[in-house]
Amino acid sequence: MGIITISREFGSGGETVARIVAEKTGFMLVNKKTITAGLTEFGIEKPLPSIEKHIGNEKAEEAVKKYIEAMHDYIYDLAIRNNLVILGRGGSILFQDYPPALHVRIIAQFTHRVKRVMKLYDINARTAVKLIKEQDSDKRVYYRQVFNVNWTNLRSYNLVVNTENMVLEDAADMIISAYHIHGGPREVKDAPRSIDTEEAILSAPGEEDAEKFMHPSEEEFSHMLDFYRIRWEYEPKTFLLEWDSEGNVLEAFSPDFYLPDQDLFIELTTQKPKQAWKKNRKIRRMKELYPDVNVRLIDKRGFESLLKKHHIEQDEE
Amino acid sequence: MSEDKPVSEDQLKIVLTREEIEAKIAELGKAISNDYAGKDLVLVGVLRGSVYFLVDLTRKMHIPFATDFISISQYSDPGGAPGVVRITKDLDLSISGKHVLIVEDIVDTGLSLGYLLRNLKTRNPADLKVCTLLNVEARRIVEVPVEYKGFDLPNYFFVGYGLDYNEKYRNLQYIAEFNKP
Repeated sequence: MGIITISREFGSGGETVARIVAEKTGFMLVNKKTITAGLTEFGIEKPLPSIEKHIGNEKAEEAVKKYIEAMHDYIYDLAIRNNLVILGRGGSILFQDYPPALHVRIIAQFTHRVKRVMKLYDINARTAVKLIKEQDSDKRVYYRQVFNVNWTNLRSYNLVVNTENMVLEDAADMIISAYHIHGGPREVKDAPRSIDTEEAILSAPGEEDAEKFMHPSEEEFSHMLDFYRIRWEYEPKTFLLEWDSEGNVLEAFSPDFYLPDQDLFIELTTQKPKQAWKKNRKIRRMKELYPDVNVRLIDKRGFESLLKKHHIEQDEE
Repeated sequence: MSEDKPVSEDQLKIVLTREEIEAKIAELGKAISNDYAGKDLVLVGVLRGSVYFLVDLTRKMHIPFATDFISISQYSDPGGAPGVVRITKDLDLSISGKHVLIVEDIVDTGLSLGYLLRNLKTRNPADLKVCTLLNVEARRIVEVPVEYKGFDLPNYFFVGYGLDYNEKYRNLQYIAEFNKP
């Protein structure tokens, strides 16, 4: 069983790349369509289009859970007798314990994806943005619900391919080459490390957090949310705010936090009011363009009073 | 020290006088008495800020009720391991099947109140509502239902009437905007 899993951001060309990889390697392409068809043959019908809409309804949740289990069994079954290119469906997680598998994520910048989707489906920028947002959000929810992992985390992939300025066939060739190198019968050897090094690595203080946040106030805020057991994601989404007649993006905005349980975006600013006007304008614009999205600005005064309330002194800027 | 005079003029600016607060609490006491007449009511005061408000509020109520207190840990450890919120003083009474009214001095972010509501809900009260003297909607992070509220205030930092800064100013009989010296 040869396994290549491909996960892609919507509009990055990942589907086409997966198809080319399957054609060139002769591997069987497993995507949503082939799985639905395969399961139907066993008399298992897909309950409903999206699991996201059924959170809270126990019966529907149970049906979806059963379907997803059947789907995973089906994929494992296929893998025993076939070489597979698995598009989406959490393939990298399903085969995370199978070292010869190559796990690929295909990405492209948001603006690039918008342009591609506009061309592909012949739609305007606004519709394309909406579509991409929905698709990305569906994926995020799916990964969280089914596997309890963060979809935006790239660490579970062996290879990340950015398809901007690249012919999709070249991307496919890169993946195939990588598969042959990676999947070859070579032993994976770690560089020998002393015990001291291991300990140093293990005890490195919050390296991931430190590099993740743009500003210390954001890290502080994330700790506060953790404390109150509020789930959050950091900058998971970018909203387009302005584009020209050709669909070129002129302005975009990524709020700092998303709280999935509140369905709320939060932007923190520690700038003085005079410097914060740009951010305020962005938020106003975002509220106009995306009236259904909840976004809240916590300004310098708000953040300071939050810290003051918790008796945390902040250095004056 | 006279209670009605600010500690220092430039640090404290009175936003609600003692008279305004008293009048509002009388209104709240009356409304709660009407709404909970004939019901098995437990007032849950959230330590420590709500004590002053709870005492004055109950003096304006004319129905029977039980009182209990709860306290939860506050987020206060920047940089260190923050841990998670927990109850530091739990209720002594069972609230199962009771009509529970949480009494808060202030609801701002909704973070701690959100946790309290989630926690108390698991104990199967007949219903669970919130009464707060002050409400700062502009600072809300978590949406929380507030049934009874005294005053809506803008996004400033307040002290007095139970609200503290480093445990100071709780005993003021007015509410003032506080600016760090």
